[in-house]
Amino acid sequence: MAQQVTGQAGQPGGALNVVGRRGPNIDAIDRVTGQAKYTADIELPGMLTARILRSPHAHARVVRIDTSKAEALGGVLSVITYRDAPKVMIWGSRQYVLNDRVRFAGEAVAAVAAVDADTAARALKLISVEYEPLPFVLDPEAALAAGAPQLFEDGNLEGQPRVVNRGDIEQGLKESDHVIARTYRCPTMWSGSLEPHAVVAQWENDRVTLWCSTQSPFRVHANMVAQLGLPDSHIRIIASYVGGGFGTKSAPHVDETIAALLARKARRPVSLRYSREEEILDSNTRFEVKMYIRMGVKKDMTLHALDIRAFINQGAYHTRLGGLGNHATHLYNVPHLRTVQNRVHTNVPNTGPTRGVGDPQECFGLDSAIDEIAVEMGWDPMAFRLKNIKRNGDPIPRAAGGAEDGRLVTQALDRCIEAGASRIEWTRRNQAPNTAQAGPIRRGMGMACTERTGGGGLSGAQVKVFLDGSVIVFYSSTDIGTGSRTTLSMIAAEVLGIPLKSFRTVAGDTEAAPWDGGSQGNRTLQGTGRAVEAAARDALRQILAGAAPLLKATPEELELVGGSIRVKTETARTMTLQQVMERRGRSVVGDGSIAQGQQGTDVERTSAAHFVELDVDTETGKVTVIKYVSVHDVGRPINVTIVENQIEGGTIQGLALTRSEEMRFDPRNGRTLNANFLDLMPPTMMDFDPRAIEAVIIPNEGLAGPFGGKGLGENPCHPGMAAVANAIYNATGIRLREVPFTRGAILRALNDQRPAASRTA
Amino acid sequence: MRDDEPNVPEASVSRRAFLKGGAAATGALSSALLPETAEAQLPVATTPDARRTMVEMRVNGIPYRHEVPNHTTLLEFIRGDLKLTGAKAGCDRLQCGACTVIVNGRNIYSCTALAVEVSGAEVTTIEGLAKDNALHPLQQAFIEHSGYQCGFCTSGQILAAKAFLDRHPTPSEDDVRLAMSGNICRCSAYKRILESVMAASRAMPV
Ligand code: FES
Ligand code: FES
Repeated sequence: MAQQVTGQAGQPGGALNVVGRRGPNIDAIDRVTGQAKYTADIELPGMLTARILRSPHAHARVVRIDTSKAEALGGVLSVITYRDAPKVMIWGSRQYVLNDRVRFAGEAVAAVAAVDADTAARALKLISVEYEPLPFVLDPEAALAAGAPQLFEDGNLEGQPRVVNRGDIEQGLKESDHVIARTYRCPTMWSGSLEPHAVVAQWENDRVTLWCSTQSPFRVHANMVAQLGLPDSHIRIIASYVGGGFGTKSAPHVDETIAALLARKARRPVSLRYSREEEILDSNTRFEVKMYIRMGVKKDMTLHALDIRAFINQGAYHTRLGGLGNHATHLYNVPHLRTVQNRVHTNVPNTGPTRGVGDPQECFGLDSAIDEIAVEMGWDPMAFRLKNIKRNGDPIPRAAGGAEDGRLVTQALDRCIEAGASRIEWTRRNQAPNTAQAGPIRRGMGMACTERTGGGGLSGAQVKVFLDGSVIVFYSSTDIGTGSRTTLSMIAAEVLGIPLKSFRTVAGDTEAAPWDGGSQGNRTLQGTGRAVEAAARDALRQILAGAAPLLKATPEELELVGGSIRVKTETARTMTLQQVMERRGRSVVGDGSIAQGQQGTDVERTSAAHFVELDVDTETGKVTVIKYVSVHDVGRPINVTIVENQIEGGTIQGLALTRSEEMRFDPRNGRTLNANFLDLMPPTMMDFDPRAIEAVIIPNEGLAGPFGGKGLGENPCHPGMAAVANAIYNATGIRLREVPFTRGAILRALNDQRPAASRTA
Repeated sequence: MRDDEPNVPEASVSRRAFLKGGAAATGALSSALLPETAEAQLPVATTPDARRTMVEMRVNGIPYRHEVPNHTTLLEFIRGDLKLTGAKAGCDRLQCGACTVIVNGRNIYSCTALAVEVSGAEVTTIEGLAKDNALHPLQQAFIEHSGYQCGFCTSGQILAAKAFLDRHPTPSEDDVRLAMSGNICRCSAYKRILESVMAASRAMPV
């Protein structure tokens, strides 16, 4: 992905009044009183309930499908199959909404809409489908072997392998004083939200409104234009309150189109809500990554060569953003680098970017290998990182390639590492694994680093000031729990000089608000935030122009402070905003539209260092996190409370990957064995002591985002797996190269470590 | 950076006053949300259908009487029949707590209780927690301490905490962790949920 724009950013001359403070969200009341309306809470007159029939086969052709009995059932108003669905691939994916070929167990085959859920469920049972099962493959490397079942006509490999080359990898490895070769694996994992996907579709003539639980309304909008063949203006997507996303809702899906098709056929509004099981099976979850890493160092502690060969298991379909992050190319200086990413289709459920695209997976491999090689050389892994991380002024690629044609700016990773080391008291760390300690408990410390770009692209927003002086910010990215309603309002409040309590927002609405790329990839603050800032400046300009004749001054002589307009040099000459607006007699609409992309050679990234101290019980395999310090560069935090909340929550999600959430597939039929919370075990308050987690914000100022802010949401979830693996090694001497680190895996590794005579069979 | 000392404003309603409020007091707030009670006056169906049952319960102080299919869950009843959508379906099978409501003083997963089982009971949903226009101290604390992110789990978190604090008004942090471990917050705002519940326990009169 392209890096961020640099240069021109909104930094006011004076002190900040709103930005940089703590405080509750502006929509807090709605969230704590049950008034916030999520998609599944919407009820329209005559609304039908929809259900989806899903394939039990991991790979099959639909030979015959008979819906006549379902259609004849009283109370069923529409039934659709692939015959009713457009032959148009979903935006960014190879998937058709409904197809006569299914590629994972759980893929949609048909759908019904009926007067109630019972009738819809009965109708599903009346649909008879004859499948011709096809051979299937679940492992990405097996899928590339000769004779493997083929998912697509052009094979299982998506496009060409993505290759990055810098220097000469073989030469670099040869020149190195020490080389390691290791394999790391992160399985397919469930990384979704508590709110399952939900859609409500309503047609009025040839226009359709879709309430969706999506992160990216305009991506869904664009997909609906393509799927339904409607003009852009005939579609309205509304994603007001969204119950989490984490990437699984960042792309269009089958559900929006299915609901729209059912509603059109039935001539009634339709509500479609995934069950928990459907949500796990069919929500673009975290993809499996297997990494073969070779790493070489010189005696002077420099990283000299890095070779990563990765197999990315995209599952049956994948939204367009696939693959690893940019850690190998952007985090450490290394003269000889090669990365090869094979993005492979298999018959596991569809996947997509989830909280950090491939960043957590890449971080696990790379920052584990960093730790391993440092240990083998007898170096402090922190000192080794500090020696090799990219710092301000270092060459860095401007794009996702290997050529270092840019220069790193506003980086604060070195300060993150130093602050974290001091908070966790890194000097207390075991010099060598704690194997001699008495008793079953071993304590250790580990760390890992991460970095990412901060989104960008095209963003838009509007700021409307009413006659009473209150403001609504209209934007079409979303508040998925990230607090964007509050953060974006704070940006506008800072620009306008209007108190935050006067603000409301309309979020996630493609009709009310201008085009915006959506809420994923650390982009809402940096992208939408800059658009809101521009819109607020536009509104301010109009307000001051309107006030100038009233105050007998030029607009340039005026300022808006604390909800009043006054002459800068003569502050007693003042009118309230409301007075000015009422005299003006009409509202003000400020418009902001921003295009961000890499310009010039300055490259801005956002980074973090995580440190963990933990106990391993060598008798039970239980890991207890004692202290976890997450140190982040977020540029200037807009709302400190929201930033800390994001860091803490993301940290726990990263920790969750170390312990559970692996999706397991039945090798006999490819079906998911654990599509429920009891088996996937997303963490509760008991699993990780929330008091152990400390979020630390490093003072910094970015260039691309509003008021020096940088995108943040993805990063806190990245380093957990690597930091914990490194700490488990430091505690026990066992090296875990596959997540999750279950008790069984830990006990097995401890057993293997023992002298042969004392091992259990 | 750490939170400053939590600054929970004086609770404007005591818990006891809230509990004593009863039907008349909460009715004022809730009837605005619930224009229908005509149905509550309907006579029992004359042709008995073994697959349907009349359930009666007081929800947020208001008496309801509805005939429902026997398999109707309490969650379906309060969301579908009563249009109280604060309780959410996160899993529909006892595994997340998003559907938590309070029945006769105990927090339960409403997705896995039948409406008929709960017939005759006193039910509190998130919509019934504020009295007049005053938020419950727990709601106040969740606002002050940002005890949520997306908010999808929040109704359940607050009600689980209420049922717990009503029985254990001065808990330790570990007590709260254990008591709240049946409510998943996928956004993992756990640190602030814990702070919110502790702050509320200090703000609520014992
Ligand atoms: S919806 Fe009831 S426990 Fe999850
Ligand atoms: S706030 Fe999102 S699930 Fe708890």
